Amino acid sequence: MNLKTKKKIMPYLFVLPVLILLLIMYGYPLVKSIIMSMQDYKLTSVGDVAFNHFENFKKMFSDTDFLLLLKNSLIYVVISVMVQFFLGLLLALCLKDKFRGRGIYQSIVFLPWAFSSFVVGLMFRWSFNGEYGVVNDILMKLGIIDENVAWLGTPGLSLAVVIIAMIWMGIPFFGIMILAALQSVPEDIYEAADIDGCGMFRKFFSLTLPYIKPTIIMTVLLRTIWIFNSFDLIVIITGGGPVNYSQTLPSYMYSKAFSSYDFGLASAFGVLLIVILGIYATLFLKLSNYEKAGDF
Amino acid sequence: MKKKVLSIVLAAVMTLGMAQICVAESNDSKEFEGVSLRFLDVSPSESRQAYYEEAFAKFEEETGISVTYESVPWDDAANKITVLGASDQLPDVLTTHSGWLGQLTGSEWIIPLTDYLGDSTEEYTTAVNKLFWQSEKDRYGDIYTIPDGMMVKGIFVRKDWCEELGIELDPEKGWTYDEYFDVVKKLTDPEKKRYGVSYRGARGAFDPLMTYLQNYTGGNTYDSEGNILIKSDECLEAFEKWTGLYLDGYAPEDSINWGFTEMVDNFIGGLTGTLMNDSEVAATCLANMEDDQWMVMPVPKSDKDGKLYNLINGSYSLSISSDSENPDAAWKLIEFLTRTDNSSEYCRMSGLIPIKKDAAEDEMYGEGGPYYTFTMQLNDPNLVVPATMGPFDYTDMHQGMMHEEIQKYLLGDEDAKTALYTIADELESRMKTYLEEHPDVQVETALTMDD
Amino acid sequence: MGRKVKRRLINVVRFFILLFFLLLVVLPIYWMLVTSFKTNAEIVDAQQITYYPHVFTTENYQSLFNMLDYGVYLKNSIIVTLATAVFVVILSIFGGYGLARYKFRGKGTMLLYFLITQMIPSILVIIPMYIVYSNMGIINTRLSLFIFYAITNLPFCVITMRSFFERIPYSLEEAAWVDGCGRFQTLWKIVLPVMFPGIVAVFVFAFIGAWNELIAGTIFINTPDMWTIPVGLKSLIGKYNVQWGALMAGGILALLPTGIMFVFVQKYVVQGLTSGAVKE
Repeated sequence: MNLKTKKKIMPYLFVLPVLILLLIMYGYPLVKSIIMSMQDYKLTSVGDVAFNHFENFKKMFSDTDFLLLLKNSLIYVVISVMVQFFLGLLLALCLKDKFRGRGIYQSIVFLPWAFSSFVVGLMFRWSFNGEYGVVNDILMKLGIIDENVAWLGTPGLSLAVVIIAMIWMGIPFFGIMILAALQSVPEDIYEAADIDGCGMFRKFFSLTLPYIKPTIIMTVLLRTIWIFNSFDLIVIITGGGPVNYSQTLPSYMYSKAFSSYDFGLASAFGVLLIVILGIYATLFLKLSNYEKAGDF
Repeated sequence: MKKKVLSIVLAAVMTLGMAQICVAESNDSKEFEGVSLRFLDVSPSESRQAYYEEAFAKFEEETGISVTYESVPWDDAANKITVLGASDQLPDVLTTHSGWLGQLTGSEWIIPLTDYLGDSTEEYTTAVNKLFWQSEKDRYGDIYTIPDGMMVKGIFVRKDWCEELGIELDPEKGWTYDEYFDVVKKLTDPEKKRYGVSYRGARGAFDPLMTYLQNYTGGNTYDSEGNILIKSDECLEAFEKWTGLYLDGYAPEDSINWGFTEMVDNFIGGLTGTLMNDSEVAATCLANMEDDQWMVMPVPKSDKDGKLYNLINGSYSLSISSDSENPDAAWKLIEFLTRTDNSSEYCRMSGLIPIKKDAAEDEMYGEGGPYYTFTMQLNDPNLVVPATMGPFDYTDMHQGMMHEEIQKYLLGDEDAKTALYTIADELESRMKTYLEEHPDVQVETALTMDD
Repeated sequence: MGRKVKRRLINVVRFFILLFFLLLVVLPIYWMLVTSFKTNAEIVDAQQITYYPHVFTTENYQSLFNMLDYGVYLKNSIIVTLATAVFVVILSIFGGYGLARYKFRGKGTMLLYFLITQMIPSILVIIPMYIVYSNMGIINTRLSLFIFYAITNLPFCVITMRSFFERIPYSLEEAAWVDGCGRFQTLWKIVLPVMFPGIVAVFVFAFIGAWNELIAGTIFINTPDMWTIPVGLKSLIGKYNVQWGALMAGGILALLPTGIMFVFVQKYVVQGLTSGAVKE
């Protein structure tokens, strides 16, 4: 084998184990669910599956709640990601410089990320219970409210509780990732800026931010995808209720798939999710100039 | 050395031979020797696992059939069964919940048990025969499950609150719905953080309400042509009365999104004064409340015809899956589990009413016992088990529109008539489609013990 | 405003922000902790909410161990999680290195594929996967969970690892080649030691992802002796009631291993990747 072929093969040697594993174990189920979305795929009669063209998609778009679901999904994902990101960034910035007890502080503050989401979900559902929940009790004692709020029984508020839980769990993720990136910003560029007499905010926007941009782009992108797709908190905290006021596309898909056994329809939702997220990812990477920031 | 080996071999041969003889002798009970079965428990707990593992050991001793105990947390059980069924991997024997039967029979994931049962149906109580199985036959054309124990609904009441307020309740005498609503109103005192009823607003909200509506339809859901009967002024009024408990503040505002957990927790926790639920909940009350804090009243009688409309069910009924390679052995296991000695022990453990006629008298079920009100209802000549919502699969409605339409009304998004009629129309259209597809099917009617 | 005053002001603001985050995290955990030491009657008491256990009890912890084979679940969880995390770290090192250091055909497609695997809700792929796994005969084994956790965590971990590699100057490696080290040798001896914090971070990601996973745990596993901790905890939710006390106790116990791990590894994650020799 000559040096040139060896050089050509080299990169594949590194990435092949991962790629093969993911192709074998993920590829089939993935293709299968895309095919299912165009089939009349009822679990109760898996034997006679027929292609029904775009019947499932028609059914999906004609669902009377479709627009509500889309709206909820957007509210859910945009607020969760934004708040999580800003709080995570704030936390990371505060943790950047050493202080006494930082180690212990960090271990504690990052804990929510280590919780299993159904335990968190249950805890929130219980704490936000309108009558015996601790949240109302505290707000009442602080004099912020004077009568119990039916958090989980009020349209809008029930989704808010899900979002709060999601934010609570997600801050550490951004905190850790951004903090790690911040540490890699070389000190000397700040020294130069100090000499130039730059202010704190200017330093942040013109020095720090560009440096950690690739990390921010990647974490925001992945986090958006994850949150958009996640339905466990919704299912546990509100079950989508009242009515469908806290239901999102994936949580609706989940309950549809298992209540009507219609995996054809569920897969159509799945394909829609991939399309939405695919468009989002492409736009996001383009608009944020990720190509330049780090190559993709 | 050689001698020693020889003697060991000899000994081994002899034991084997003797074992052979033993097998030959009890050939009948051991015809499935060596077969292994899988059993799925959909509501695992420490006591259930211990019970089953002990029972399976005994079963293996008797029959030579080994059984693996599989389980899945209740919350995920329906999903797990869906995945198992879709991939033809269902265990031989599975415990089921009545709400899944439409799907399980529709997909032919479980098999009919009528032939297996044969004459042994006579061993079972009238309630099992005339109510439980009759209802399965009406809906699915066959018997598909053997109840593990019987459950009826009752109303759990805060005895101490009633005593405080001078409300007198007598389970023997029972009450009507109007009397019940009256008690709910009296028990409500928001100042003291007390509400009359653990209102069910989330999934399943329509179930108890439907039973109440059926008080006005003689317990039926459809007429013989499949027209729904709950679209009447009388039923609409009943619908408004029932939901009025929430709207008029006799239930916590939050309860619009309550499921079973919140209902039970809040009754035990002292927020609500009444709770309509299955007899199984008595076990939770026994464990968490003082004896003088709670009592059980029967489900109220109809204000219209004085009958007692109440649903009865198995708790986690036993069924055999179509994936089983050894349904005969699986049946043996069910026979064993439902044998009077085993099933009595199981029912006592789970707080269920026995399924066999010759179940031993037990103080638990007798007068003064925690389950007395439930057994009493099962023996009440006025008991009518209302027809179900239909033989078709309505799981999606149950997890969606049925409670959502009511919630919309409670939130003021639509009026009562729209809510009730939307649900009724959907049911009716599904029923008519079903009847078209199955022209031979008789529309199911309410069941009583004496027909 | 003098520099010193300004510095002071910033520190005060920072203190309050840090306090805010601390309370945000500690209060819910405190609530779980006190709940786990309350009697059930006190937990569901709607008339009075207590902020510390008026009757202190350890019955929830006891019942957790009596009620569940908690020890067995713990063992299963540890085996599967550790195996997954180690495996994912090794594959991510190779994959991440390949992606960071080479340009090759199909690289963009590959990254796209990684992203797509993250876009599809796992509930949809779980039925086809179940069929594949049962054909492989690995249903109800830890292997099935290991494979599932590995493939669900790999895409993110590879991408993260790649970004860690990208922060290490290429010159470091080139210097080693000049000294006659081979590619793998350089990776092993020169790059990885510098990468240590990044490796720890990826390990923690994979560990937590696998530790808390629930869906595969309920679907691929049939018998309770193979259950993991989340599945065991989920079984505390019954048809009629949730055993809050035991559940909170279980939640706290499930948090311990990860919590302890945080104490030891946080400094690596945060130490960053520029310390020591890597400065350009």
